[in-house]
Formats: sequence, C-alpha cells, structure tokens
Amino acid sequence: MTDILPLEPVRRTFRDYPKKPRKIRGSSIAILVFLTMCALFIAIPLYVIIVTSIKEMSQIIQGEIFSLPTKVTFEPWWKAWNEVCSGVQCEGVKVGFINSLMILFPSLVLSIGLSMVTGYALALWNIRWAGTFLFVLFTAAFVPFQIIMIPLIIMTGIIKVYGTIWGVAIVHAVLAMPLLTLIFRNYYKDIPNEIMSAALMDSGSFWRIFFEIILPMSGNILIVVLILQITSIWNDFIIGLYFGGIGTKPMTVILANSVITSRGEISYNVDMAAALLTAIPPLVIYFVLGKFFVQGITAGAIKG
Amino acid sequence: MFHKSLVGVTTALMLSVAPVTANALDLFVYHTWSAESEVNALKVLIDALAEKGIGWKEIAIPHESESNVGLINLVTGGNPPDVFIESSPGVYRDLASMGLGQPVTQLFADNHITENLPDAVVQSITVDGEIMKVPTAIHIDGMIYYNKAVAAAVGVDPTSWTSLDDMFADEQKVEDAGYTFMAMGGNTFQAGYLFHPLVAAIAGPDVYYRFYQEQPDPTVFDDPGLRAAIEMHRRITSQADEGWVNRSWADTTNTVITGKALMHLHGDWMKGQWRASGATAGNEFGCINIPGSKAMSVTVDAFGLLGGVDDEMKNAEFEFAKIVTDPLIAARFAQQKGSTPVRADAPTDYMDECNTVVLDGLKSIGGVQNPFNIADNDWHMSVWNIMFEFQSDPSMTVDDVIQRFKDEYDVIFG
Repeated sequence: MTDILPLEPVRRTFRDYPKKPRKIRGSSIAILVFLTMCALFIAIPLYVIIVTSIKEMSQIIQGEIFSLPTKVTFEPWWKAWNEVCSGVQCEGVKVGFINSLMILFPSLVLSIGLSMVTGYALALWNIRWAGTFLFVLFTAAFVPFQIIMIPLIIMTGIIKVYGTIWGVAIVHAVLAMPLLTLIFRNYYKDIPNEIMSAALMDSGSFWRIFFEIILPMSGNILIVVLILQITSIWNDFIIGLYFGGIGTKPMTVILANSVITSRGEISYNVDMAAALLTAIPPLVIYFVLGKFFVQGITAGAIKG
Repeated sequence: MFHKSLVGVTTALMLSVAPVTANALDLFVYHTWSAESEVNALKVLIDALAEKGIGWKEIAIPHESESNVGLINLVTGGNPPDVFIESSPGVYRDLASMGLGQPVTQLFADNHITENLPDAVVQSITVDGEIMKVPTAIHIDGMIYYNKAVAAAVGVDPTSWTSLDDMFADEQKVEDAGYTFMAMGGNTFQAGYLFHPLVAAIAGPDVYYRFYQEQPDPTVFDDPGLRAAIEMHRRITSQADEGWVNRSWADTTNTVITGKALMHLHGDWMKGQWRASGATAGNEFGCINIPGSKAMSVTVDAFGLLGGVDDEMKNAEFEFAKIVTDPLIAARFAQQKGSTPVRADAPTDYMDECNTVVLDGLKSIGGVQNPFNIADNDWHMSVWNIMFEFQSDPSMTVDDVIQRFKDEYDVIFG
C-alpha cells in the first residue's frame, strides 16, 4: 500500500515574482504631489502647535509662529496638565482627563452592549418587524443631534440622570446605536446558518448563543467599534457641554474653558500644550489598535 | 464567571459616577469665566461668600458657546443654577414667564445700591422696568490703549487729542518713525467691536439707539452720523499693517505691547493682555477714550438670580447680590478682572489710571448699552458681517455698506 502524502501548498513570496520595471508617470507624480499637500495640510499646523507649546510667551508675542524656540520650555505642558483653570477650579486638564475616562467606560459598555445585542438579534433571529425597525434605525442615523437635544434633556431629566455621568453615557449610547447596530448586524449576517442551526439544536437560548458563540467570534468587529466609539466619545464636546453637570465635564470642555476666551488674556503656549494633551489618548488608541482596526474592516466589519 | 465580572464592573462604575450632592447653602453658579484674571476676580466673591457661610458650586462653560442655550438646557433638565451669567434680556423674560425670575429692584433700593451705580449700568441691568441683573464689572467696548515708550519715542501725546482729526494729524509722524499707527486685527468680532463704539462716539446716543435695537429705525440708515462712523471705520482699517488678516484681538494688542504699533482701539479687556506681559497702566501703557466721543459703549457683566427658590436659597442669592455690589468688593473684583468697578463710590485705592479715565468718561460723556443687550441678535450679527466685509474689500464704498444695511433690514424685519 502506498502512502499518500498530502500535497504541500506552494508558497510564493514576492521575491518569486519578476519585478516590474519602475516607470514614473505623470499620474504618479500628481498623486505624490496631492498626497504631499494633504500631509502638509495636517503637518504644518501640527508643527506650529508643537513648537508653540515649547516656546516662551515673550517669543510668541513677537508673532513669528513658524520660528523654532529660542529657549525650549516645558513649563506650558506642566501648567496645562496641572494649573489651567476651568471656572475657579485651577487643576489643569488632568481633571478633564479623569472625567473623560469616567464618561468613556459606561458610554462604551452601554453603546456597544446595546448595539451588539440588537445587531445580533436583527441578523440571526426571526424578529417580527425587523426590517421596519432597521429602516427606522437607519433613518435615525441621519437625524441631527441638535433636533433631539431638548427632548433628550427632558428625558434624562425625568429619569434623574441629567447632569450626571450616566446622563452623558446614555446620550452617547442613544446617538451611537443606529450606526453601531448596522455595523454589528452586517457583521453577524455573514455568520453561516449552519452554526446557528447547530447552536439551536444544542438547546442554545438567545443569551447562551450570544455569550458562548457570538461574543467569542466578535473580536475583530469589537476592535473596530471600540476604536470608533473611543474616538467619538473622547472627542465629543457638545454632549459633554450640555449634558455634563458639576464635576462631570469631559476633557474637551475643560480644554475649551481654558483656551476659548473672548476677553481674557491668552497664553498660546499653554493652550497648545493643553490641546495636544487632550488629543493624545485617541492617537495612542489608534497606534496600539490600528492594525486590528484594518483587520476588522477587511473581515467584514463595516463593508456593505 | 463572565456574568459576575460584568455585574461587578457595572456596579463599580455606577458607584464611581454617582452624582455629588451639594450642601443646602451652596450657591450653584453657572458662568463662562476661566481666564486667569476672571478666576481671580471670582475668588474675591467666593471668599466673601464663605465669610457669610455660603458655599460655591459651579458649572463653567467656554466663552462663545452660547451660554444662554446651556442655561435654558439646565432649566429644562430640572437642574437650574441659582446664579448665572447672562446679559440677554430675552432670557430674563423667558425665566420670568416660567416663574423663575428674581428681581432685585427693592433689594437694591433698600441697600442704596441703585443710586450709586452709573446710569449706563442701571439701564443695562434693567429689564422691563425691573432690575433683574446683579452687575459685576464695567467694560468699555472701544478705548485706545497705547504704548507709552513708542509715544515718547515718536513725540506724540495721545492724551492731547480732542478729536479723531487730531489723532490722525499724528499718523504720518508715527509711520515715518517706522511704527504702525493703529494696530489692526481681522475677524467679525473685531470689526463689530470697532464699529459700534464708533457709532456711539461719532454719531451719538440717538443714532446709536435707533440703529441698535430690537427693530432698528430704518430712517437711521440715511443719517449723516451713521455715514461718518462708517467712513471712520474705513479710515482706521485702511491704515492696517500687512499682517492684519485673521489676527486675533490679543495678537493685535501684542503688536502694541512689543512696540511695533503705537496703539489699539478695542475693548478695555486689552488690559488683561498688557498685565499678562507684566505691564502696568501709567507705566508701560496709557489709555484714553475715543477722542471727541459723544458716548461710550458700555458692556456690563452681570449675574442673574433664579426665582421660585425657597427662602433660605433666596436669602443666599440676595447675600450674593449685596456682596457683588459692595463698594469695596466691587473695587477688588475690578482690580483682579481688569475692569472698572460698577459702583461710582468704589474706593479709588484699587483703581488704576485707566479705571479713572472710564469713570470720568461715564460722568462727563455718558454711556450707551452694548448691542448684545439691546439689539436683535440676527441684526447685530449681520452688522458684524457687513463691517468685516467692508474692512476686507477696499472696493466696497460707504454707499454699498448703507445699501447692505437696508437689504439685511428687509430680510430680517421685512
């Protein structure tokens, strides 16, 4: 009897393919120029912000915004973190950092939890009026926040969470639900029917299937949604401004309090340092989880 | 296990974000002040309140983020502040219609406060015949702050100018010496804040109040006083240096502080920028009212009090009003904020020479109210836009501006 050996798949690397001769075309140059301009569009203001944040005010008021610092100082960063005022509380943007973290976690749990379960139900269970519900949800995604702001204020007031972190978190969850539900629903729709049939035959209930089968399969999509939501919640200003109460204003509002002034004196170096400090957390998330974000998208997260 | 962890995390989160409960005698204050000078001024009030056993809880929101929207949201959400910064009379009318207005007319009369406030302040804090606001600070919307070293180097004395023609007579001398005559910035805020003080100064109170009100008097558009104010706006803005476009008022003042320009015509909150650079009035900088002014445009910063509260809170609110308008507190508050005290009888020990210029001007010339206090908001913003367009487009004539005023009037009120 002859042993039948399994066929080894042929693995090729890019070295096995012949190199295409490089040819500089007009279109390539145009694309390069366009991309360079796009990069400069972001890079130049970023350069000004960084350089200003380490200059002394005596140099800044000379008005040469592109010049390098004659004397580098990190005092503006220290002041921004520890001393800038939001109202009479002069404890820096770190206060807002803590508030934003406290807002972020319940907001993430509420928005992702609700949307995930709703998307799962709509994609994999026979729900009456599911199509209509999806349509309404889809329509709601296009309603401007300003239109529903006052009703939301009244509703959060009625349930006694207006001005609290839970009030902010609930509003974030409500506003994120349409888009996130669509994302989860589209992702779960690609799960083969056989898996659901097998799970049902194994006497799986709605929640058991969700926790034991669906949730473990949701890694990619969760990373995508986490990045989207963390960025959106961290960078939010309006919800924090109008729904936050005493001691619950997020970092963006604390930043705006310290930076925006129509009649007060302005310290540009401290303002720039505070702005950079506020922008750092979402950037870190992108750097750490960016690879997974791309994987999630290509795995079907937010495609068609 | 997963479920237990989830419950644990959720419980911890709920406990960590539970709302903080305020004490019974804490005033819940809503305001838009976070700049260093503003905070130092508020601390004067907080210390004085603490001596009376009244605490301070606050929500601060950024400048220019529609504080009246935030205020109404707080009221709608069932969490209204006891004390709030607000200038718009419409908000006080809205609150009164909800049973939440709190007049202080009687309180001010009983405590001899009203009689010691300048007329412009009393006008500004009165809504439909009742005093509804507690005034904290006077700012003049259009003053000239000048660099004394530059003036000395060129050999000009701004205090000697008795008219705008006098002022411009020195323009060539200043420019020949290599300085910008008058510093200039570029945005709608600055164009608007240059124009309405000029209307008050050149055209006078009658034209000013016909132009800036809930519905302007359309005959004012053909008034020669208004035309003269527009012409002066052109004359001032046309001598700007090259970098004026998009320059903020603070950067504009910086060009005076650093000795590139002789002076800046803007609101007297410029003083904060001078003080932040370590300069003091009378030494590094001097100040004058617009030469030959017929009236000074006055901004009165003020707090409103919430009505419909229990007696204990009402007493705390009234105590706040008395503290704010106490002559000594008003002087110390103004010293910190860089404004002028609202009390005409405030001790002069805490004032600088610019405060004296303001108070003397209010006595001799008189003041008109800031447009935010009296004019339709759409109209006011249209005026800002038109004047900024006028500043930006040298081909636009005074007749064009007047025609644009008429067109905007038709759109808004027609």
